[in-house]
Amino acid sequence: MQLFSSEHQSMLKSFRPSDYPEHMEVLSSLGSFMESELLPRSSRFDSGQESIAPYRRRLMEHGICAIPFPREHGGLGLPFLIYASAIELLGAADASTALSVEIHNAVAEGIMRFGSDEQRSGLLPLLLSGKKLASFALTEPASGSDARTVRTLAERSGKGFTLNGSKTFITNAGEADLYMVFARTGRGPSCFIVEASSPGVSVGTPMLKLGMRGSRTAEVSFRDCEVPMENLVGAEGEGIDYATAILHGARIVVAALNVGIARLAYDGVMRYSKTRTAFEKPISEFQLVREKIADMKTGINAGRLLYYYASCLKENGQDYSSEAAQAKVFATEMSLRVCDSAIQLYGGYGYTTEDLHRPWRDARLLTIGEGTSEILRLLIASRELARAS
Amino acid sequence: MNVAVCVKHAVDEGELRFDPAGRPLIEGAAGKMGAFDKNAVEAALRVRSEVGGEVVGVTVGGADARKSLKEALAMGADRGVHVLDEPHLLNPSRTSALLAASLREAGQFDLVLCAEGSSDTYSGLVPPMVAERLGYAYVGYARKLGVTASEVRAERSLEESIESVASPLPAVISVVSEANEPRYPTLIQIMQASKKPVAEVRAQDLLSAGGTHSVTIGSMFAHSTDRKRIFLEGTTDEAAAKLVDALRKEGVISV
Repeated sequence: MQLFSSEHQSMLKSFRPSDYPEHMEVLSSLGSFMESELLPRSSRFDSGQESIAPYRRRLMEHGICAIPFPREHGGLGLPFLIYASAIELLGAADASTALSVEIHNAVAEGIMRFGSDEQRSGLLPLLLSGKKLASFALTEPASGSDARTVRTLAERSGKGFTLNGSKTFITNAGEADLYMVFARTGRGPSCFIVEASSPGVSVGTPMLKLGMRGSRTAEVSFRDCEVPMENLVGAEGEGIDYATAILHGARIVVAALNVGIARLAYDGVMRYSKTRTAFEKPISEFQLVREKIADMKTGINAGRLLYYYASCLKENGQDYSSEAAQAKVFATEMSLRVCDSAIQLYGGYGYTTEDLHRPWRDARLLTIGEGTSEILRLLIASRELARAS
Repeated sequence: MNVAVCVKHAVDEGELRFDPAGRPLIEGAAGKMGAFDKNAVEAALRVRSEVGGEVVGVTVGGADARKSLKEALAMGADRGVHVLDEPHLLNPSRTSALLAASLREAGQFDLVLCAEGSSDTYSGLVPPMVAERLGYAYVGYARKLGVTASEVRAERSLEESIESVASPLPAVISVVSEANEPRYPTLIQIMQASKKPVAEVRAQDLLSAGGTHSVTIGSMFAHSTDRKRIFLEGTTDEAAAKLVDALRKEGVISV
């Protein structure tokens, strides 16, 4: 499978004709790296026979995380669109690795936007080159979409804050070197960088999941965990605004990731439908199969166009929160439909073969994670109603 | 040490399509740097890191070949030479003449590294031809290299043996794929490669005559195997006996 498809290339060219040669080289290089290092191992990652960790590290060293960051922080200074496109390729190569990298980079973006100069210069070079892995710890057992209700406490102590509480469904838990933790101080939810090695940080056993099995998910608890004052990100009490801003950007990337998952399922089906015969002809000759193929393809291209548009708004400094949410809602639900159609076309093989139902299992997470479809529809509607007034 | 490494923008065999008669559709086929050429570039970079010097990437081909040259630069070559020529699928005589002429123009080289063969046509003819034209020593199929200021020691990977040889410099060396694990250029190296100098030379300016065709391609087909489609029926024991008979008739076994 050619991860950076000729169609994707021509879409990129039509969006950004002037920089196309350089962008093309960057994405082609990433694509071929993923084709040889990740794609052939994705079923081993899914079944737990192999860990994504060393491959994720090499991918980060290759430079995927650095793509959208300014050069002065160790980034490549390329458009966000190129980063999102890279995550689409990664979503097709191995969705678990894509999820892990995407969360990591969302933390890096948060530090760049809201962190102090010391935090930026100290952490960004390490995060962008993959020397350190980050994790985003917002959700709690009793606080999900209603993130303002976080119960984890950060009480003022001698040199900083003392954290107590639990976070759940935390991607990269146990593997991360640092956590971006949202905890309540006297002024409200605030954002902290907590080193994984700090005393009082403990990580639960990895959760068994429907999909994204290559990525590690667990509960992370803080018990009398001392966090120095310089690890407070931005201003006290502003944590939820930071989390919201970080998630707006992450939603574009999650949309791209799901377009990638859909492409993986689609590519498999295209090969299968031409070779599998029924009633003495390839199943691709049947109209009801063709209907599915047409809908799959249209959905993939529409999903890519939506995340491209949201990326361009973000690059231009315009409000993109509604468009990012639209891209995520559409792309995640589209990829579920595409992967479901793929299983249908594979028939019994689709239901019984791990590799054939893996895209569906992976895609299933992201109508929930990083903003449920329901909450995002409310966000889109309220933003659009406000714009219309 | 001045090291040149020759790379070919080869047909991407993974993307190659065939017509119904099994003939490869070479026109318009996607290209990429020959898989083994990456081993040659890696070997050149390792020589440079051991003894210092400069690595120059050289390619012969159409405008597309610049992509493979840039890949060599991204991997770490210092500069490039692109001999612009009409793409020829298999014309080792012309390719080697152009490579030798461009190398003579590009500098004094102690070492010229090539792959054991290109990953599309794999004739393996170009490296010895380049050596002959330059009047350099030739060491083929090296899997291990040790370079000093005056000589190169190599282990040659032959069909059933390993041969250790030493050769004076300058020399042309072809390396096999087991020689090393080629590095992946990072994204920053890929972006920086665009800024490295590439000299473009036109083939007609290097060769007054057109370059002879030493090889003519009679035909080229996808490999196919005819299966005999013999079905063995009966119980397991009967079928096993029939299988042994059939294998004996085919000369696969001789019991």
